Amino acid sequence: MSVLREVLPDFSWWSGADKRREAASGIAGAVLVIPQAITFAYVVGLGPEYGLYCAAFVALVSSLFGNSAMVGGPNTALSILLSIAIMPHAGRGSPLYTEYVLLLSLMVGVVQLALWALRGATLFRYLSPAAIGGIKIGVGVLLITSALEGTLGVSGLTMQFFHEKFYVVLASWSEIVNPYAAAISAATILSALRLKRWLPRAYIIVAVAIGAVVGWVIDGVVGPVQSQVELLGRVVFDPLPLRLLTVTTEHLAVLEELIPNAVAIAVLGLAQSLVISRDLKTRMSPSVDLHKEVFAQGLSNVVGPFFSSFAGSGSFNRTSVAIEMGARTPLSGIVAALAVVAIAWGLGPFLTHLPMPAIAAVLLLVGAGMIQWKEIRLYARSRVDATVCGVTVFTVCFVGLEAGIVVAIVTSVVFFVASASRVSLDITRDGDTEHIAVRGNLFYASIDGLVGHLRAHPATRTTLDLRAVPYCDSAAIAAIDMIRRERNQQGGRLDLVRGDVTGIAAAA
Amino acid sequence: MLLVGLPLAVAARPTIEELKARSVLDDYESNVLHGYDIVMDTPRHAPRYSGNRLSCTNCHLAGGTTPDGLPLNVAGLYPRWRAKNGVRNGIGLRIRECFLYSHNGVMPPADAPEVLAVAAYINYLSEGEVIGKPPKHWGVPTLTGTNQDPNPAMGEMVYRRACVSCHAADGSGVGSAPPLWGPASYSAGAGMNNVQKAAGFIWANMPLGAGRSLTQQEALDVAAYLHLQGRPVDPRDGRLRKLAERFVHWLGGLTGRR
Ligand code: HEC
Ligand code: HEC
Repeated sequence: MSVLREVLPDFSWWSGADKRREAASGIAGAVLVIPQAITFAYVVGLGPEYGLYCAAFVALVSSLFGNSAMVGGPNTALSILLSIAIMPHAGRGSPLYTEYVLLLSLMVGVVQLALWALRGATLFRYLSPAAIGGIKIGVGVLLITSALEGTLGVSGLTMQFFHEKFYVVLASWSEIVNPYAAAISAATILSALRLKRWLPRAYIIVAVAIGAVVGWVIDGVVGPVQSQVELLGRVVFDPLPLRLLTVTTEHLAVLEELIPNAVAIAVLGLAQSLVISRDLKTRMSPSVDLHKEVFAQGLSNVVGPFFSSFAGSGSFNRTSVAIEMGARTPLSGIVAALAVVAIAWGLGPFLTHLPMPAIAAVLLLVGAGMIQWKEIRLYARSRVDATVCGVTVFTVCFVGLEAGIVVAIVTSVVFFVASASRVSLDITRDGDTEHIAVRGNLFYASIDGLVGHLRAHPATRTTLDLRAVPYCDSAAIAAIDMIRRERNQQGGRLDLVRGDVTGIAAAA
Repeated sequence: MLLVGLPLAVAARPTIEELKARSVLDDYESNVLHGYDIVMDTPRHAPRYSGNRLSCTNCHLAGGTTPDGLPLNVAGLYPRWRAKNGVRNGIGLRIRECFLYSHNGVMPPADAPEVLAVAAYINYLSEGEVIGKPPKHWGVPTLTGTNQDPNPAMGEMVYRRACVSCHAADGSGVGSAPPLWGPASYSAGAGMNNVQKAAGFIWANMPLGAGRSLTQQEALDVAAYLHLQGRPVDPRDGRLRKLAERFVHWLGGLTGRR
């Protein structure tokens, strides 16, 4: 029955919800997501309407089936990964490209449902916060780099490494930077920075509007041919973008190649969603069921592609705004998704002449927002965290996002195992008797130090105090047994002070 | 140009129908088909950048395959120098400009999928042409048989007689005939708004199905008449600046009258 509780929408939150507050937060969320959705669609390489579909339908399904105030929809890191995966297989933005993006998103959803069935939520416990922090920082750097071209009106910077781009722009800015584009993005960024304090919820919208007005004035005075400022173009928003996905034999070959990408995207999406919902669970709603959230994410990505949506996940920045505005239940997410449809439908025709530099400026701000000095300082305080985070950031920036995720998982696990296998020996010696208090887990990976020490002094009478050993595996038991036998032959002794480590008790 | 004189790819070219019937397409072929769709129905397949009711095929007749009807088998001519913007233009820029001027839309970025697809289609049409040499019946014919200056008043009579049945008295087009002026037609900056080019186009191709039935002088007159009609402003002029100029002009008129 617990499975049914996870897979069926559950409206038990309805009676306890403060409906006015949830609705207000939902509408603010819709206003917030629209510029992000357009930006992320641009990152994926699709028309702006696809980002809006994702903000509406993926978000709707994940809120309907989830049980928390987490806001789903288009996500930065996933958008980057989707475009990296499909770029080699079809011309960016062509119908074939769109089809591949949607099919890959469907695969992501299927993988996520499989992870749900395998109780994947438990797995993500081992992904350390520092590793996720590292991914976030790396994605921030990637976003800022990719926004560079749009904000400055430079096109076609094809460099291998991100720092080369900065170098080229700095070295030859007078030739390649489009001053009109730079003026529009500067107006957007500066007004966002000034307005953030006064309008914490709507400042992005107002800043984009200011950038757009600057763009229109430039357009009106010098004309689009002279200014060469790229415009968004017409957004063709269909409120019910139903789509039949067909798979031909040619698709199959490509889709097979995409399986690793689907797994990477699925894992990263769940990792982000789970970090958010775990945070919500500990801070405010203990009733949040992580397995249910995993199911909701997977289902939203399975259903989404049939509504022309690419894969999404929980969003850090939008969830925190929703929480700040008092959202506590999925209701705000549901209202936000429906409001996106209504607003995008009505607003579409007015977006045509929106200058792209204003949108790229939003991307830059989102990227900068992902690099939080507060978090970095926190990680810097622990050597392990600093290493995990640093290695992850480095890999994301210089090798790529997928590699960065693998490194994040591997380093988290390695350091987890390393810290779990740290054993401290507290040795007090008196002639040829000694007392060793062991602290830590004794298992195949951690036993070497203790064994080495005991072997080095075969004739001593040792008392081994195991009361602070929470776990001891068969390899450790066998090793201790062996040493005890050796000592008996060589005139030494090994006594155990047993804790509740059952294995040792039986052996002794 | 070292490449001058080399024919573009020689392999026998499949027709669009053959391509459509195939189940497996490579990247180039899928782009060719997408480009073909855009050329045949621009508002539907490239809605993001198109701003009026015209499709490329309304001017580049029969999908760019009609001699003297602005054929699009021109890939071998690019990049070439053009007076309109004073730089060497790639085929991509020409495509983007037709969106801006002829479709009164938004100039797509150079790497927009729509632009790449149309470029692939133009490349496909150009297979077998010689690089660097204008194809036969390129563009529209230059009219040499006119002996008077264009006369829009005569043109209006020609329009009433020969064109109104398809393009309507207000130029908005009937059925499949496209608008010739007004808000849904090409802008003042479009190539078709050039009287000489329009006259050549009209003489060779209009009335549709009865090309070369007008005299060259009649074609020139009706082109001049079309040129005088209201249409979206040339995007090269800033709209605000135009408005300001008009305002100053109007102010000047007011003070002048005193
Ligand atoms: C209103 C009529 C009109 C429409 C619609 C139109 N064009 Fe054109 N196009 C012209 C004219 C006239 C010329 C040649 C004039 C010139 O050189 O400026 C031209 C020239 C071109 C050329 C250069 C051809 C050459 O001979 O060198 C290309 C390429 C082109 N157009 C592509 C397109 C595409 C793609 C579309 C649809 C998105 C399109 N045009 C729509 C009228 C039109
Ligand atoms: C039989 C109907 C018919 C008649 C008569 C006709 N046209 Fe057209 N015209 C068309 C159609 C249809 C097209 C679009 C061609 C296509 O899509 O293949 C067109 C296209 C055009 C275009 C280019 C597209 C545009 O919107 O600018 C011009 C210019 C034009 N016609 C001018 C004229 C003039 C001038 C006359 C009179 C001499 C005329 N036509 C008579 C049917 C007609």
